[in-house]
Amino acid sequence: MPKSPAGGPMPKDPNSKYDLGKISARVDRVNVSGLLRTHNDYVQRAAEGLFKADNFQSMMLEAMAAKSYLHELGIFKDVSVHIDISRGADATPQGYEVTLKGNEYTRIMGSAGTEIGQNEGSLRTELTIPNILGRGESISLQGSYSSSRANDVQLKFWKPFFHTRFRENRPEVSFSVFRQTDRFNISSFQTTNLGYLIDFSAHTMLGVDLTHSLQYENSIRDLGLLNKSVPFAIRDHSGPKLASLLRYSLVFDNRDNNVFPTRGIMLKSVNEYCGLGGNVAYTSSMAHGEMNVPLFAGLVAQFCGRVGVMKETKKTTVLPINNLFYCGGPLTLRGFEYGCAGPVVEGTPIGAQTFWCTGAHLWTPLPFAGVFKGLASHFRMHFFYNMGNSNAFTTDNMRSAYGLGLAIKLAERARIELNYCIPLSRQATDKASNGFQLGIGYEFV
Amino acid sequence: MQSSQYLNQLHTADKLSEEPWPEDATLYQPFEAEQILLPENASCLAVKAYLKMCNLPFGVRSCANAEHMSPGGRMTKLPFIRAGAFIFAEFEPIVNFVEQKDMAIGSWQDEDEKADMRTYVSLVENIFTMAELYVSFKNERVYKEVTAPRNGAVYPWPLNLMQNYSKRRNALRQLKVYQWHDLDIEHVIEKVAKCCETLEYKLKESPDTPFFFGDQPCELDAIAFGHLFSILTTRLPNMALAQTVQKFGHLVTFCRFIDEKYFQMRCLQD
Repeated sequence: MPKSPAGGPMPKDPNSKYDLGKISARVDRVNVSGLLRTHNDYVQRAAEGLFKADNFQSMMLEAMAAKSYLHELGIFKDVSVHIDISRGADATPQGYEVTLKGNEYTRIMGSAGTEIGQNEGSLRTELTIPNILGRGESISLQGSYSSSRANDVQLKFWKPFFHTRFRENRPEVSFSVFRQTDRFNISSFQTTNLGYLIDFSAHTMLGVDLTHSLQYENSIRDLGLLNKSVPFAIRDHSGPKLASLLRYSLVFDNRDNNVFPTRGIMLKSVNEYCGLGGNVAYTSSMAHGEMNVPLFAGLVAQFCGRVGVMKETKKTTVLPINNLFYCGGPLTLRGFEYGCAGPVVEGTPIGAQTFWCTGAHLWTPLPFAGVFKGLASHFRMHFFYNMGNSNAFTTDNMRSAYGLGLAIKLAERARIELNYCIPLSRQATDKASNGFQLGIGYEFV
Repeated sequence: MQSSQYLNQLHTADKLSEEPWPEDATLYQPFEAEQILLPENASCLAVKAYLKMCNLPFGVRSCANAEHMSPGGRMTKLPFIRAGAFIFAEFEPIVNFVEQKDMAIGSWQDEDEKADMRTYVSLVENIFTMAELYVSFKNERVYKEVTAPRNGAVYPWPLNLMQNYSKRRNALRQLKVYQWHDLDIEHVIEKVAKCCETLEYKLKESPDTPFFFGDQPCELDAIAFGHLFSILTTRLPNMALAQTVQKFGHLVTFCRFIDEKYFQMRCLQD
């Protein structure tokens, strides 16, 4: 079966006896079977493209597209496609009948496993009740626990609108109630956020494919102290506060791979406006970019940058310290300890209101990669040069480091880096780590 | 890590015991006018009275999250004091800290007298704090009309409701630990009356001096004043506690005297 992505014309195979594109075909009937709980109108659009097909090749492609569309609807465990000539009284001469046979999810699904977060691994369990009302509405209960930094529990309800006429935009609405604990060990405090989140996300295809997500969050952020000798600059912030904020994030990604891309650009921006009621007020913006340029012999040049700015609004009395930016660590400025390339109060690192950091990488396949083929695709070597700074958009007193390391791909999403780092310039209060440093995550600079 | 931290603190405490009282010592407490609750007010007043009796300078800072900033304590967690690099919460730890510095009142007392006084201090602290907690959180009217609105005053809705809930739950838990949760108000009054009686008896032992022990103030004077004065001057829908204390004329006179000598608030009615 042809497996080209939906819609694209198949390259002509010169060895093929028949040109499938020239064999005319007409889809008479589309059956979707296996619908037990799902309403018919929810899968109706799967057939749309099929009826437009006028030759055998496009019919095959449309059938595959319909299959992947049904998968995306999130109701079927697996889907199979059967194509047969149509029979019966109203069958046309070139008529075909397409049957999409689905196998619905069970009522309750559970899973447990490990997850890679930003510089932490966590244990995660999830319980999902898919497709409750028959149109893709689902509820899930997730819990994740990590020893080092964050724990959270989340109850989420979501409903996709892929079946409406906006299917190309893939709109989805979700509502979640969450309780999340974040530990900021280096600053000796932890926050417990308890609240709810309404999220609307969609794609737009005006020239470029962008992923938008608009969120409203209402949460109680309780800041607790982790030990008795916490500086007063941090102690002053303790206690619960009510935050009410809008968050808009935008992602553009045309890289060919998430972990070891060879070409393409990724841009991401997250903007928050907090202060719609409650007693926390600030605006915060963060942008992350990555550009990959293929060179020769499998070498890839990669340039990354990240910048964050947090500002007071008219309503701000104090900026919440738990939203400040931490710079430094294996994911941002290699060669520094996590969060330790920023301002310090009484010896304790505290986040910065603004920061920037950039990284230049030269990625190479491992030597003799050809010998190991499959295995070698999980490994890369890189030389890097990082620089960045906190609370200043200048290159005066900036921090920088260079080094080289080995990166391992984990499950198409995350990577582990083992780097030997040599800090070049630092400030007196920074904690640099000259030597080997291990980083796990999915978004590096 | 935790234990080494304590050791470290102990070590520095030793080192600093010879150092003078810091000029910028600050006492942290909730907002007096709109936030502070009766038990907290009593312990804050007791600490202030003690520091004034010791003639130590201190500043007062009111902040909405004082309770959360506090390093923690046995009862109200408040007030807490920041003296140089040190933070201590509640009456007894603060008193112990001051005593390391040789500026404390009561250094004239001998061991026996000191032990005697300590007994009174812990009696006063336990009985009055529990009675105040009881009235503030167990009495439905006082809770609804005073405690809840005041405690929630610094938080926006609906955070105030949640804070009130957790505060009340903690208070009730504390009452349960001290086995005050199933008492009714008569029993509470009885306990308070008995405590007042003991105090008045002690006061009468030295009729020609205004203080409990001899002619100089000590810890007991501070903590008794803090609690009695707070109870007498706090307006609540249920004034049972104040009426009980009012019956002990010597104690009221004592409060008036301490107020006059150290505070001059003069809000105690005749």
